[in-house]
Amino acid sequence: MAEYWDIKVEDIFNSMQERFRPDGAKDVDAVFGYDILDEGKWKLTVKNNEMKLSKTDDLSGCISTMKADGETFVGVNTGKVDATNAFMSGKVKVEGDMGAFGKTGKLFRKYIIAKKEMTVKEYLADMFATIVPRFKAKEAEGLDAAFAFDLGGPQGGKWTVFIKDKVCTVTTEIEGSPTVTLEFNDAKDYVDFILGKIDAQSILAAGKAAAKGDINMMASKWPILFEKYKDPMGGNVQEQELLVLKKTIAVNQKFSTGPIMGKFLKGLKDKKIYANKCPKCGRLQLPPREVCAECRVRAADFLEVGPKGEVRYMDVVFYAMPDPLTGVARETPYGSINILLDGCKGNETLPHFIRKDQIEKIKSGWNEKKGTRVRPVWEENRIGDIWDIKYFEIDE
Amino acid sequence: MAHKKNRNVGIIGIGQTKHSSHREDVNQPELIHEAVSLALKDANLTMKDIDCVVHGNMELFEMVHSPDLWHVLGTGAYGKDCIRITTGGTVGATLSCASDNLTASGMYDIVMAIGFEKLQEGHTTGGITNMADPLWFRKIQAGALTGSSAYDVEREFGLERANRASLTYRIIMDKHAGLNPNAHRAFGLDFNQIDDLIRTSPKLVGELKLIEMCSQSDGACCVIFACEKKAKEISKTPVWIRDHITVHKEETFSIFGYNREFPVMKTHKFAAEQLFKRNGIKDPLNYFDVFEMYDPASWWAIDWLRDFFDLKGDEHLKLIENKEIMIGGKLPINPSGGVIGSNPIGATALIRVAEAAMQVRGNAGPHQIPTPVNHALASGFGGTMWTVMTMLEKELNW
Amino acid sequence: MTDQFQGIEPMVYKSKINVPYSWWAGDTASKFYLTLRDEKKITATKCVACNKVFLPPRKVCPSCFTENTQWVNVSDEGTLITFTIARRQFAAIPSDRKVPVIWGLIKLDGADTAMLHYLDEIKPESVTIGMRVKAVFSEGRKGNIRDISHFKPVSRV
Repeated sequence: MAEYWDIKVEDIFNSMQERFRPDGAKDVDAVFGYDILDEGKWKLTVKNNEMKLSKTDDLSGCISTMKADGETFVGVNTGKVDATNAFMSGKVKVEGDMGAFGKTGKLFRKYIIAKKEMTVKEYLADMFATIVPRFKAKEAEGLDAAFAFDLGGPQGGKWTVFIKDKVCTVTTEIEGSPTVTLEFNDAKDYVDFILGKIDAQSILAAGKAAAKGDINMMASKWPILFEKYKDPMGGNVQEQELLVLKKTIAVNQKFSTGPIMGKFLKGLKDKKIYANKCPKCGRLQLPPREVCAECRVRAADFLEVGPKGEVRYMDVVFYAMPDPLTGVARETPYGSINILLDGCKGNETLPHFIRKDQIEKIKSGWNEKKGTRVRPVWEENRIGDIWDIKYFEIDE
Repeated sequence: MAHKKNRNVGIIGIGQTKHSSHREDVNQPELIHEAVSLALKDANLTMKDIDCVVHGNMELFEMVHSPDLWHVLGTGAYGKDCIRITTGGTVGATLSCASDNLTASGMYDIVMAIGFEKLQEGHTTGGITNMADPLWFRKIQAGALTGSSAYDVEREFGLERANRASLTYRIIMDKHAGLNPNAHRAFGLDFNQIDDLIRTSPKLVGELKLIEMCSQSDGACCVIFACEKKAKEISKTPVWIRDHITVHKEETFSIFGYNREFPVMKTHKFAAEQLFKRNGIKDPLNYFDVFEMYDPASWWAIDWLRDFFDLKGDEHLKLIENKEIMIGGKLPINPSGGVIGSNPIGATALIRVAEAAMQVRGNAGPHQIPTPVNHALASGFGGTMWTVMTMLEKELNW
Repeated sequence: MTDQFQGIEPMVYKSKINVPYSWWAGDTASKFYLTLRDEKKITATKCVACNKVFLPPRKVCPSCFTENTQWVNVSDEGTLITFTIARRQFAAIPSDRKVPVIWGLIKLDGADTAMLHYLDEIKPESVTIGMRVKAVFSEGRKGNIRDISHFKPVSRV
């Protein structure tokens, strides 16, 4: 079984029981599948605040199944790979009920990688092993140089980094006559220097290190030739706690409608839909506006339109956005429709919602092709509000 | 008639933060300070040289009102003239227009524009919905999400071609973002993932999929403008603002008739036509060397290409399908990765101007277009259908 | 207004905004609050260019525009610069503070800027500008400005 960051896919599954949070499993009653490429399939059953995991070949009966390769799966579970990015870029796929799968996020505590100390020897091996992948060839245009490292102490060693024809090679000895040689009495200081724990000035000033040859080449070229070394231990620095203030702002508001919108809203109370007409261009505005925005003249003539009409366009909304008035997420999917009410023409459409169970039957219009005919369903108690129409439904 | 100016104005300093989904380590003014410091360093100026600060974002995204007061800690506007602007998604572009106007008028010699947003601090879609007419549309709108552009393209060219064009555009943007060290999202997508992404990326609204929608970022951008005399003294490579145009449309959403007998006024098309006409540009597709377009989603982007350049038939789709909009292509679009790559809304449209100017200067970094960039175009988009366009030039010779 | 609006009544329409927000303090303010919470110490940042000490701490000196990298401890005692008194229980006053509520601008010893906070354990009529005050820390501290409960007069010895 392959390991990623020293962790096997099995490790993640085997630790699920001990990472399980009964708190996060409240109201979850489902079977989830995991299909990890080349590693196997697992079935997770969550019921009555308890979980059961089994390795299986049969993922039938799962409400949703996550598919990923081993590296991504381990990465996402350990925080090495950003879960959102992995999902967006298709490295993690969820088949079945996406919303249900979202609940698995709260089921487990995070898998924590047991941190071990890296020795100076291991650090040096890693630093020089990553030299070639960190090499930025385009910065090496016309450069022909050899950088030698003579790092002393019990864990030290010797390396030479050659750069020629925009190619970088590394040997584990000092060969030929290097352009510049960096000598450290103790290799540990070099490791600390690269990790940013001590600065070059203080090492040089203390006589713990010396550079021979073209020092300028080392100082000016080396930092731009290579990507910065990334500490595989993540620096082991404790991250500072960052504070946040969370608040839902809820403000009650009152708006004056003015006479034109007032007429429209009052009309709804009487089960009437009013548009107004521009005396110049003749177009209707729905809801009515005091002036025609295109002709900039007062539009005073009201006209009752609809209440039936045809759907010109429907947006099926899957994204559960919060209702800005209540803060509560809308139930999805819902159909947001633009209706051309009888008596209107062209783009004089009114936006509203379609009856939930009829989304799939709605056909949008296009040029001369008519869309599905719909009619409003009125509220019993109307108050002069766009929701005095509960929704539109198919007019059969 | 071209834009009348008392004097020419050049961009002499640009600073941007790395755009990201998590800048918990800095508060709002601290984030702004990062961009301002970088712009000052870029122009080799100090805050003492700045005559006026133009500050902009959208209050409802962070719900801090008159944020220019608190932000003084980061903007450097302490004891200076400071003007605040909010115009929706276009705010960044309007900051640039205002700075240009303030400088061209002779009022100030050096003006600094700062666009900012920390979208993680609020709820973007919930916030946007609060811009709608509260008397009725607030209750219906779903933020800036709609599948209508997808419906448009799909009707005309069929679902398969439309979907593939949208994903091709999306992946080109991802490849560009991968080159831009400041970009928020760069997934490392490749063209062989198109079919897979069409199938698996969750749908938001209609055919608009999660992968196709812009990001929600924390970030700030700062651009310094100077009059011709100062610009030439201070900068070796000032980028000249040739012209800019703003076109608004009424707020109502009466655009969904879908009937060829009743064409809808499209502000992008309208603005582009006027801008190019008054500057005597007959073939904009050939004239411009780069276009930084405000692309909130790949569907809108592919549809708008046609509007901006007055393309006929399926020319706009061919530009995408043949990858002519990639760095190295006929007209590279968004070498920065665009709005799909990074979107701190109040800064987003200013980043378009900034990135276009960086291309003209020739020092954009890894996402620099290899061929010379002499003429650049930037666009902003906001509200229901508002357009701001800005033309940048390398030489003062128009 | 012409007669076209006759018989049309403008209405008042009730609406609401309800949106969640989360504001990040950033590393500088976080450090200040955490020291307050965990160590009951008041810390401030210092501008290395003009030597001004900012409380509450600012990451950037607004006049020099340089980053304040130096942290200093300031005293929990200071001088009252000015004050004001609320005698009505406004909605904006936290429910655990009862009128009369006294706010003071307090310049702590070692700081160059004054900080707004509550004054308590003193009658409104006894408050004087220039008086010496001392911070009283809250019991259950949560990492916000109210980890200091209030300032009280320094008792004369």
